[in-house]
Amino acid sequence: MLAAILSRLLRMVVVMFGISVITFLIFFATPSSDPAARIAGKNAAQETIEAVRKDFGLDRPLYVQYGLMMQRLFISQDLTSFANRGQKIIPTVMAAAPATLSLVSGAAVLWMLGGILTGITAAAFRGRWPDKILMGLSMMAVAMPVFWVGEMVNLVTQNRLHDTWAFSWVPALGYTPFSQDPGLWFRSMVFPWLTLAFLYIGLYGRMLRTGIIETYQEDFIRTARAKGLTGRKVLLKHATRSAIIPIVIMFGMDFGVLVGGAAVLTEVVFGINGVGRLTYQALKVLDLPMIMATVLYASFFVVIANAVVDLLCLLIDPRMRRA
Amino acid sequence: MCETRSLMTRLRGHILCGAAALALGTAFQPAFADDGHYGGTLKLLGVSSEGTLDPQINYTARYWPLFIWTHDGLMAFKKVNGPESAEVVPDLAEDMPVLSNDGKTYTFKLRQGIKFSNGKDLTVDDVVASFQRIFKISSPTSGSFYNGIVGADKCLAEAATCTLEGGIVADAATNTITINLVAPDAEFLYKLAVPHASIVPADTVMKDAGNEPIPGTGSYMFESYDPNASLIMVRNPHFQEWSKEAQPKGYVDRIEYTFGGTEEAAVNAILNGQADWMYEPVPTDRLAELSVSNPDQLRVSPLVAWWYAPMNVNIAPFNSLEARQALNYAVDRDALVSIFGGPALATPVCTILPPDMPGHVDRCDYTADPGELWSAPDMDKALALVEASGTKGQKVTVVTDDSVTSRGVGTYLQTVLSDLGYDATVQSISGDIQFTYIQNTNNNVQISVTQWYQDYPAPSNFLNVLFGCDSFTPGSDSSVNMSGICDKGLDDRMKAAMVLGSTDPEAALKEWGDIDYDMMKLAPAVPMFTPKDVDLISTRVGNYEFTSQFHWLVGTAWVQ
Repeated sequence: MLAAILSRLLRMVVVMFGISVITFLIFFATPSSDPAARIAGKNAAQETIEAVRKDFGLDRPLYVQYGLMMQRLFISQDLTSFANRGQKIIPTVMAAAPATLSLVSGAAVLWMLGGILTGITAAAFRGRWPDKILMGLSMMAVAMPVFWVGEMVNLVTQNRLHDTWAFSWVPALGYTPFSQDPGLWFRSMVFPWLTLAFLYIGLYGRMLRTGIIETYQEDFIRTARAKGLTGRKVLLKHATRSAIIPIVIMFGMDFGVLVGGAAVLTEVVFGINGVGRLTYQALKVLDLPMIMATVLYASFFVVIANAVVDLLCLLIDPRMRRA
Repeated sequence: MCETRSLMTRLRGHILCGAAALALGTAFQPAFADDGHYGGTLKLLGVSSEGTLDPQINYTARYWPLFIWTHDGLMAFKKVNGPESAEVVPDLAEDMPVLSNDGKTYTFKLRQGIKFSNGKDLTVDDVVASFQRIFKISSPTSGSFYNGIVGADKCLAEAATCTLEGGIVADAATNTITINLVAPDAEFLYKLAVPHASIVPADTVMKDAGNEPIPGTGSYMFESYDPNASLIMVRNPHFQEWSKEAQPKGYVDRIEYTFGGTEEAAVNAILNGQADWMYEPVPTDRLAELSVSNPDQLRVSPLVAWWYAPMNVNIAPFNSLEARQALNYAVDRDALVSIFGGPALATPVCTILPPDMPGHVDRCDYTADPGELWSAPDMDKALALVEASGTKGQKVTVVTDDSVTSRGVGTYLQTVLSDLGYDATVQSISGDIQFTYIQNTNNNVQISVTQWYQDYPAPSNFLNVLFGCDSFTPGSDSSVNMSGICDKGLDDRMKAAMVLGSTDPEAALKEWGDIDYDMMKLAPAVPMFTPKDVDLISTRVGNYEFTSQFHWLVGTAWVQ
């Protein structure tokens, strides 16, 4: 067990090191990304740029700069942004994380419940009208881009019908920390949750339905039926349990990626200043320290989520424990 | 042609009428009527924040209009509506400075009894330290605005030990500051009125203060700043109004600037009364709707700016004068104005100096009917010039940023270049990279689409900065002379005009007008149009005032 954990940790470090090196090199290979000229400002004199270059250590060899950046990011933890000088990177990411975590966790609960319900219902009514309606809806959910759905939701809740009884309870866009006002936190998150979950409900529902239907062809299902188990028991206890494994694996990936910043479109549309938006803003202004921190943060979550998923799979499927 | 001209006259008439009516309105308002307007919170929205809160470093159109309410310089631009706002008035200085030594020495008397927002008294030492600080922290304009101060060369070479000895002399006994320049500088008072010359306490940290607010003397002070969330301004408790023109007492008690979301969401929030104003331009697809549904919430104001297409005079095909002139003849400015949103939002231009810039003269050669104003493209002449240049058939790439308008303008230029016989393509790159990308000669940009807004109302701010030899540094990301033009004769004339300005401003302005005309003969760029500023404000905002220098005056607006 210990060996397994250690090997996983080692793999994580290697992955993160590789990602950080690539990020660093891509940044310096980008044309006109000279941080000194950006920091010095519009139409700065060449003397000023040189002074800034020296001041920020940007005149040193790349490997030294990389080493210094990693040292300031992980050891002294006082790395500051290039674009918002004085903005400390780690506290900023830590401050943005709860917003993203709120968004993604709430949406994850919704989409797992919704997806499982959709998948099981559709499989149970296979070929009949509930199946057709649900599959049609989920196809729509998958096909509609999340930023478009978000804008449409905003159009209805913030613009056209904002002053009616139906949506006057929706607060202005933005994020309110749970600790500050739980009620407002909940009300402001309802539509972002629904919007983000919508796509995944469709996706997971379709995957699960197909999985269950495929599992129905397996020998152990026939055995269960032969033992005289009810249709419901066969569906829930045997078919679904087996078919849900790929869903759990996928969930781990999606959750990790979204917490790491991939929910950027939902965040931007709903004015939630989370990690995704932070990454996006940093990329826009070529703020290397912030890009580096958010990219590493994201990769960390993906690796962790994968590890958790592996454990979960062991719990769900006893066959995996033997392997 | 007539249509354009009459339209412009009409527009100008409107603006003037509007300004006059507004001026009359305020003049006849009894003084006590305003008292009820003090108080309340002004809510501003921005999609993103924009860097450090250090007024001596930040160089953005987003924060400059805020710094003028938190910090003061020795001089200030008048905080009044309309064209008068381009005048400088004494701010922390008691009076206009006394000039001596052939215009090279400025003597200011510092106002007494002014306190910083941290309660400390303002002294001459603060002024000296603030000027040293410009160099010690490598302020972006230290080498371009303030390099004429005696001792600045040493400070630029070795920032840490900067003293500006002989350049800034303080006399605590008489409370005076003497500034010595190497040469006369007609624009020096403007340079003292921008936020980079803010006076901050002498004990301010000698590096970029970042997110930590620096105490100032203005009507407001920054309470908190989180670039990922919000910027809060509150009243400066130690502020006593000393000059209504320079630093009036603001109406609202609190200004909350929130960052995040999208432009679309900001428009909705303003319409819902959840916010009062947004920094980003209103999306063009919403403008048409808003101009019908909420016309009383839109404010259109003239800007001193231009959209232009600099052409690289050092590489093919635009190293040929004929090729550059051909494109100037061929571009239909009216088409570009439509791309930007129509004649209500932009005016075609043919000169480098924008219409509201001192020194501007209506003169246009690159049009079907040469005269004062641009009327229509002259395609025949353009085709003949391309033929003569021998550049026909060459590959040209137009580099634009990724905004809708910039791409639209780039695509239009591509069609014109194709019509002229070039093999043209458009390359569009992220707006934040594009501005430095097109400056660096290593990227071999032939032609690009960009904009320039005035730093202060002086012609050199366009002509000398954008087309002067000093602004051209091959291989650097900071080389704002994107055309790479360096004409010795014109450069000398520009330098002479800057000196002339300190003794004979009228003659200097006339010379700038001539330089503009002669520079355009060399056609280093295609002037396209002058944009207008459109602000969307909530219904509760009153007393909206606009200055060409710092745009909307947040402090003189009220919300109740």
